[in-house]
Amino acid sequence: MSDKLHFNRRDLVRLGGMGLTTALPFATQFAAMGAAASTVGPSDYKALVCMFWYGGNDANNTVLATDADSWSRYWLARNAGADPIALMPVGTKPVPVGQISSITGRTVTKAVPDAWGGVLPFAPKTPQAIPAGTKATSAPRTFAVHPFLAPILPLYSAGRLAVLANVGTLIQPTTKAQYLAKSVSLPVNLYSHNDQQSEWQAGSAEGATIGYGGLIADNEYSLNTANGIFTAISTSGNAVFLSGQTVVQYQVSTNAQPAVLINGTTASNIDGSSLAPQTLQSIITDTTPASNFQSDYAAVVARSLKATGILNGAMSSALVTALPAVPTYTNQITGNTETNSLAVQLATVARIIAASQALGVKRQVFFISMSGFDTHDTQNADQPNNLGKIAQAMTYFDTALSDVGGADYRPNVTLFTASDFSRTFTTNGDGTDHAWGGHHFILGGAVKGGDMYGQYPTLGVDNGAFNNPNMVGNALIPTTSVDQYIGTLGRWFGVSDAALNTIFPNLKNFPGGYLNFI
Amino acid sequence: MRSGWSWTVAAVGGASLILSGCGNGGGSGVSRGPALDAAAASAVVATTATDAARFLTQATYGVTDADVTSVQSLGFAKWIANQETIPQESSQAYLDARLAAMVATNAKATLNSSNFYETFWLNAATGQDQLRERVKLALSEIFVISLANPVVDTRGAGAYYDMLGADAFVNFRTLLQDVTLHPMMGKYLTSLGNLKENTITGQHPDENYAREVMQLMTIGLFKLNPDGSKQLDSSGNPIATYSQTDISGLAKVFTGMSYYSPTPTSTTFYGGARDPNWDVTPMSLYNAYHSISEKDFLGQTIPATATANTAGDLKIALDTLFNHPNVGPFIGRQLIQHLVTSNPSPAYVSRVAAVFNNNGAGVRGDMAAVIKAILTDDEARNTASAQANINYGKLREPVVRVANWMRSFGAASQSGHWLVGSTSASTSLDQSALTAGSVFNFTRPGYIPPNTKLAAAGQTAPEFQLVDEVATAGYLNTMNSLIHNGIGPAPTGGSGPDISSAYSNELPLASNVPNLMARLNQLLFYGQMSATLQAKISSAVSQIAIPSSSATAAQISAAQLKRVKLAIFLSMASAQYIHQR
Repeated sequence: MSDKLHFNRRDLVRLGGMGLTTALPFATQFAAMGAAASTVGPSDYKALVCMFWYGGNDANNTVLATDADSWSRYWLARNAGADPIALMPVGTKPVPVGQISSITGRTVTKAVPDAWGGVLPFAPKTPQAIPAGTKATSAPRTFAVHPFLAPILPLYSAGRLAVLANVGTLIQPTTKAQYLAKSVSLPVNLYSHNDQQSEWQAGSAEGATIGYGGLIADNEYSLNTANGIFTAISTSGNAVFLSGQTVVQYQVSTNAQPAVLINGTTASNIDGSSLAPQTLQSIITDTTPASNFQSDYAAVVARSLKATGILNGAMSSALVTALPAVPTYTNQITGNTETNSLAVQLATVARIIAASQALGVKRQVFFISMSGFDTHDTQNADQPNNLGKIAQAMTYFDTALSDVGGADYRPNVTLFTASDFSRTFTTNGDGTDHAWGGHHFILGGAVKGGDMYGQYPTLGVDNGAFNNPNMVGNALIPTTSVDQYIGTLGRWFGVSDAALNTIFPNLKNFPGGYLNFI
Repeated sequence: MRSGWSWTVAAVGGASLILSGCGNGGGSGVSRGPALDAAAASAVVATTATDAARFLTQATYGVTDADVTSVQSLGFAKWIANQETIPQESSQAYLDARLAAMVATNAKATLNSSNFYETFWLNAATGQDQLRERVKLALSEIFVISLANPVVDTRGAGAYYDMLGADAFVNFRTLLQDVTLHPMMGKYLTSLGNLKENTITGQHPDENYAREVMQLMTIGLFKLNPDGSKQLDSSGNPIATYSQTDISGLAKVFTGMSYYSPTPTSTTFYGGARDPNWDVTPMSLYNAYHSISEKDFLGQTIPATATANTAGDLKIALDTLFNHPNVGPFIGRQLIQHLVTSNPSPAYVSRVAAVFNNNGAGVRGDMAAVIKAILTDDEARNTASAQANINYGKLREPVVRVANWMRSFGAASQSGHWLVGSTSASTSLDQSALTAGSVFNFTRPGYIPPNTKLAAAGQTAPEFQLVDEVATAGYLNTMNSLIHNGIGPAPTGGSGPDISSAYSNELPLASNVPNLMARLNQLLFYGQMSATLQAKISSAVSQIAIPSSSATAAQISAAQLKRVKLAIFLSMASAQYIHQR
């Protein structure tokens, strides 16, 4: 264990909230933002958190290959158009606003990559294989992240953050030739937002009613002998990911009281009628009518009513109130203060995790999300801000869980990112369109971090003699499947291999099997 | 101030009314030959007050006595035909006037989305063109733009909403073109400023609009039979309507559209020398930026050419989409879902699709005919069948529920500006007009709510996408507050919430609870309130004592008001109300 820098928790939160830092070598950053607590979390508690980026995040600007060959093709494709989206090479200093960039020739504003400095290198512990079509001029292959992701690098070097390369929806391993010949089954409606969101969450197109998170939770549901209603929780609306065969998703707000009290139900009277509160309760929870619309609607209200007192009551415990507040977030491009929805949602998740022992739940699955990733245009103005929020939210969450009443809950909680798809390698002028395979992150104390998993692909679109075996048109063919990704997380959660093969029927198609990131 | 139609309604409660109106094409009283009179008379007599209320629940923002009377007198078909002639109040004109008034006192004033909501509620609550307003809302949930995205500005949104309203009863081909060329759609789905391909750098045209116009606005993902069911190939699998290559080909067509200018140049293409009306005027077509290479999509090939022809290419593309056999069932089914029922029978969809294909006079895409077909179909009108079908109907959308209260209880706005503001928070209504979270709208046509009886029965229920433990509680709290106190900030010079109801029709009934319940039954349940629900509410309401005549008038009316508010709240809280059947 490296020397601990002595920070108190407020400092840690403030530092995590700084957003973009200039391009310091990551090792000198706060590498020991580590366990501030002296004991570990409960041995029988696990929580899985899905952070869904709605719209399809451009992974090509999130995790980059910086070897000369890959970078030259990246540069050719993305340093083009009216507002080029190519990021700056490793080591580039930020160009002050108003100056002409010697690299691109443009007059620099805050909303162009020249102002942000070069991409930030990180080194996987396990050397990445050089794929076909990439010249092996220097091994091991080198990588970097978008400059706005600087805050997550300490998590990476502390071993709690892993990178998963080129993951996406697949039915079976698919080569370029097979894709072009249509000789293998492909997921339904690739490139369609709603269907791919459903494929990622539930393994089938829109209309799916049961999702991976719910099925995983179903298998462990018997451990939640009390308050099973709090097994699958969403802070951002209905998500099929959380629905199981038994487990029903439960919505919370991000207010101080996460469950919304229905006014009048606990009053002594309404409008002077002392009968009215019971009457209201009776009416809104009546599931008996011979109408499925009415019955199903009332069932939701009944759940809402039942859970409110229990959940809100648990929020007043000392464990919960001691958690750090959500840091302020500043959009580095506009200078404006904004709400970081991801951090706000993770704050609610952390509070419920902190209350989990009191609630008596041992296994929980959470779903948080943010939209705005569908950067068909103005990608330079929009994507960095999204990534900045992701980085702040992750550092905040890591810090919050590090000390829950003196216990470090990070080994108990694993957060993983997901998105509809990644985006086209070439630009449409100032943005990108829908693509396929992309890169993601896994965060938690049980994660074997500081490393990259999966196979980072060859980069570049076909051009003359160059034929990229990993790319069809502008889209990367995934080299790891969502089944393997979420299956591995389910395994950590405690689900048996036999059950996982039922939840992920295509898992057996992938010789790679489970991944090694946790 | 309303222009256009003005109704003069003489007498109430009876079958014979004289209606007169000015403006285009409306009737001026009943004065025709005997055969026609007999037909008209039989049409009139057939409609009960409760059936009229049920019809109005589908076709308007809320049941009023006046509307019930006119439906009973005209019959459904004529009421619809008449509604289709009533023009809308322009949202853009409202917003322009609003801004001018604001700027008069504060030179730096600007419009924001709350001002758009003002015009939405004004039209929903008080608009004479009720059917047009409901269809507008439905169209805005198919041809989605959203104020949640800052690229959509308020004035442009008003103009866009006007466009949907103006096109609600014209031809679908016109609607499709107007949507495609609208600058707010151009901004929202990023076709504005879209450049032709660059084969050297590999830069490709933005594919956003090409994809979504097919997936969401015309043909959908799978080939459909006329009854809306998916066609299947020889292996029993659905057949995709388009592939990625179709999208790439179609994307080339949507290049060269950009900011309106009376004198388009390369400067104006990129947004310089911006015309002040760019956001409310159809995009200009800039041939210099339009692709001239071959464009293949949906079996259509536009050959490569030496000179760009943006207008010509757009015509071919939009004609191709319009004429695709999917459009009738795809759009027809969604309009049925928005107005009548979430799971129309295949036969119902077929009948509506057939009208889309041919309105009876050889015209394809006649929206007026389609709307009439939807609302006059037996599956919409047959109350007994609907009540007997465990899966029939839909949830009323949250904004429609609030509009129901406004119309049925004669709510008024002190300021005249209907200052409701945003209702998008999940602790509010979880919905504001023209403010969906994405181009996929608040609710998907194919949404099946997990862990429900509807799901077990294989039923889609789009509005359930907005139903969860937070949103249902938020709705109840919002209704509780607005029924009791009204809604909206106190306007300058006013007092109390901007919008409230005096419940003047209900107060006189409060001393007799069965009469009060009967009225609410008619307004909110089209006569279908169950005896159980009525008994529950009656008991709670009756517990509020009306003081004897020895009390002051103020005390008596205070007690009456409490009864009325409680009765309305308990009614609108019920799933029986929320479910439109």
